[in-house]
Amino acid sequence: MLARRSAEAVLDRLRPFLQAEGGNIEVVDVDGQDIYVRMSGNCAACPQAKMTLHFGLEAALRVEMPGVRVVRVS
Amino acid sequence: MAARDLPQQNTIVVGQSPRMQAVLDFVALVGPGQGTVLITGESGTGKELVANAIHQRSPRRDQPFVPVSCALFSDSLIESELFGHERGAFTGAVQGRPGRFERARGGTIFLDDIDDVPIGMQVKLLRALQNRTVERLGGTEAISIDVRVIAGTKRDLRALVRQGTFREDLYYRLNVLPVDLPPLRERREDIPELAAHFFRRFFGRRHREAPPVSDGVMRALLAYDWPGNVRELENVCERAAEMSTCDRVAIGCLAASVLFADAHATPLPAGVAVISAPPAAAAPEAAGFRGETPTPAVPIDLPARLREVERELIAWALSESGHNKSRAAKLLGVKRSTLGDRMNRCGFPPRTPSPEPQA
Repeated sequence: MLARRSAEAVLDRLRPFLQAEGGNIEVVDVDGQDIYVRMSGNCAACPQAKMTLHFGLEAALRVEMPGVRVVRVS
Repeated sequence: MAARDLPQQNTIVVGQSPRMQAVLDFVALVGPGQGTVLITGESGTGKELVANAIHQRSPRRDQPFVPVSCALFSDSLIESELFGHERGAFTGAVQGRPGRFERARGGTIFLDDIDDVPIGMQVKLLRALQNRTVERLGGTEAISIDVRVIAGTKRDLRALVRQGTFREDLYYRLNVLPVDLPPLRERREDIPELAAHFFRRFFGRRHREAPPVSDGVMRALLAYDWPGNVRELENVCERAAEMSTCDRVAIGCLAASVLFADAHATPLPAGVAVISAPPAAAAPEAAGFRGETPTPAVPIDLPARLREVERELIAWALSESGHNKSRAAKLLGVKRSTLGDRMNRCGFPPRTPSPEPQA
């Protein structure tokens, strides 16, 4: 539960930037240490966004939850 | 019109904001003179750039501009670096070598991180500035130098003078024409222009026109706090220019550090009042009239107010963690023992059950 809330909190701060961009990223599921996220809109199509957001989110979450893994779906 | 272009590409001072315009006016005013300038400003605000701009404005512009960071040299090396040394002055000094002051002859020397000059060296520096002569290490001859001096620091020299780590007489010698460079977060209106300037440079390096910047990127750049100031913005723009493969600068090109800033700070729940302004002193309609002197604000007791805030935050952390002090301490970013001390100070009741009354 903590994992989901932390991930959402991080993403909430990003969302205004992503939406201005015509994209989004959402948490679809949490399974233990694995957080499943989906990128949509322009972010789904952009290879840079996949890398920056994926690793950035993972690094940001690891500060509070060591061992967490962000898994990207479709 | 925004950028007052100077000869080389990386010596352009960019900024429309009133504070940056004031800096540029200052440069235009004091540049042609000879006075010693003291430039203060956080790391990355452009102290060397402004020093160079002053030099370029002066009649010395065709003579050398010699920047030197005083933080780079150990206590024993700095004297020889600034003043030079004669052959045999110390082990390994097989040749005489002119110091930075001599190499700046006729031009300008920029002594950055002046606060890092060790106190023993400060008196020698003061004497050099006053007499306009230097003596090489191991030398006997006073070499006269015609050099304009600009000093830079990111620290508050007056505070260092009070602490006794910076000589007062040297401070007054340097503080003839002081100028303070604003941090980037205090001139956010300059961010779009600065970013455009850096994108032009870094895309130009790849022989590309700078593509348009997406709204999301601009919002992120404007929202970020820029602890590293313009230098950090420059690096972020360089990275984005290297990353960009499509026909625009998109959010994915940005550094994660900009997008995920403060990501580890747990946002406070809405219920916690972080700080509230002291209650208004007078009836608002009375103070609102033009020309009417507003009633002075009622003084507050700062320590008491801060304790109040502390108490609220600790209470929040305790309730979030189910009164688990280790987890509460983690939420607050303090040590477990510190939290205990602070709880006592704020008058939290100890949660250990009170001892049984003695029979």
